[in-house]
Amino acid sequence: MKLLQLSPADLRERLRNTGIWLRTGPFSLHVQSRVESVAKGLTDLYGQFEVRDAREAFADFHVAVNPPSSLRSWLRPQVKFSFDGVEPFKPLPLDQAYPMLEWGLNWCISSHAHHYLIIHAAVVEKNGLAAILPAPPGSGKSTLTAGLVLSGWRLLSDELTLIDRKTGLIHALPRPVSLKNESIPLIRAFSPDAFINRASHDTAKGTVAHMRPPKASVRRQHEPARPGWVIFPKWTAGATTELQPRSKAQTFMFLARNAFNYSLIGAEGFRVGTALIEQAACYDFRYSQLDEAIAVFDRLAEAPALDRPGN
Amino acid sequence: MRFQLKQFGSEAVVYDSESGDTHYLPPLALALLQIYREHPRPSQDDIVRSLTERSLFDSGLPPKTQVDETLNGLRRIGLVSPK
Repeated sequence: MKLLQLSPADLRERLRNTGIWLRTGPFSLHVQSRVESVAKGLTDLYGQFEVRDAREAFADFHVAVNPPSSLRSWLRPQVKFSFDGVEPFKPLPLDQAYPMLEWGLNWCISSHAHHYLIIHAAVVEKNGLAAILPAPPGSGKSTLTAGLVLSGWRLLSDELTLIDRKTGLIHALPRPVSLKNESIPLIRAFSPDAFINRASHDTAKGTVAHMRPPKASVRRQHEPARPGWVIFPKWTAGATTELQPRSKAQTFMFLARNAFNYSLIGAEGFRVGTALIEQAACYDFRYSQLDEAIAVFDRLAEAPALDRPGN
Repeated sequence: MRFQLKQFGSEAVVYDSESGDTHYLPPLALALLQIYREHPRPSQDDIVRSLTERSLFDSGLPPKTQVDETLNGLRRIGLVSPK
């Protein structure tokens, strides 16, 4: 059953009481919340995802977003995120309840799913090959990711690249795409049909909203992809679109530094990471126009098999 | 084995299982490491000659200084034995 098949009243009743069981990529989540904006966010963004009765299904992560039970909650409403009954973060203003759920889920996965090498990077796929987009905040990574998945690329993840330690394949986790500040109106203008939920203001990341993942990406969320490219995007006002090869060794070092669990898994992380880099073509990518950027990515994906990475 | 080395073209990355650290070896460091693996006690003149032929020096510092600094780096990591 898909989440959109639950009536709004049923979803809210379940969320308040037993919680809902939700499947996202390789993980199952149990989510409980009495907060209206969390119910609304799930309805708006997770409609295509599989749900089950929370009492009958095993879940990898049990999470909740609820108001703290203190007097303060009346004076200045807040919410807290809990994972298996533990609260790893300080409470946030009520307006940030939905982003807090998404950030909390990212934390759960990046702190616990060590059967993957997990890199802090967006990842999209076309024609069977994945493009990994690692980049610091402000580089235009989320905007580019949103533009690509609205233009025929499959969303694997906007935040966590999950590399299977046994196979080297990249697993999909096509949760909503987090958009920040100027990228929100930019993506609305780029694709008026894209659904972007209500923005939360004054968060640690500025104004944040989430874009619903494309239906096809959710439908194919159990299909892994082979690494194809590692591309470092950099949005620069007025820049001409430019794709430049970059050092594989330095790319590996960057990925190792930006992996959540590289140090934790030791030599295995080195083996998995270097195997990935060996298969992938590595580039620096500068752009200012989203449509031109997407055209460059499309050309990469459509290159003849002989020109592809690994050949 | 303490070190795992993966070469990408003229550069490499090295994992040290003792410290858990990962190191980047630029072309000069990788070439120097290869010289030491093939000839454990090469003369500095031989090293400079070999690396000059491969155009591996920056223009900024004298080649001998670059060799010394790089060699010290490789020794600190443990990839080349101390003097």
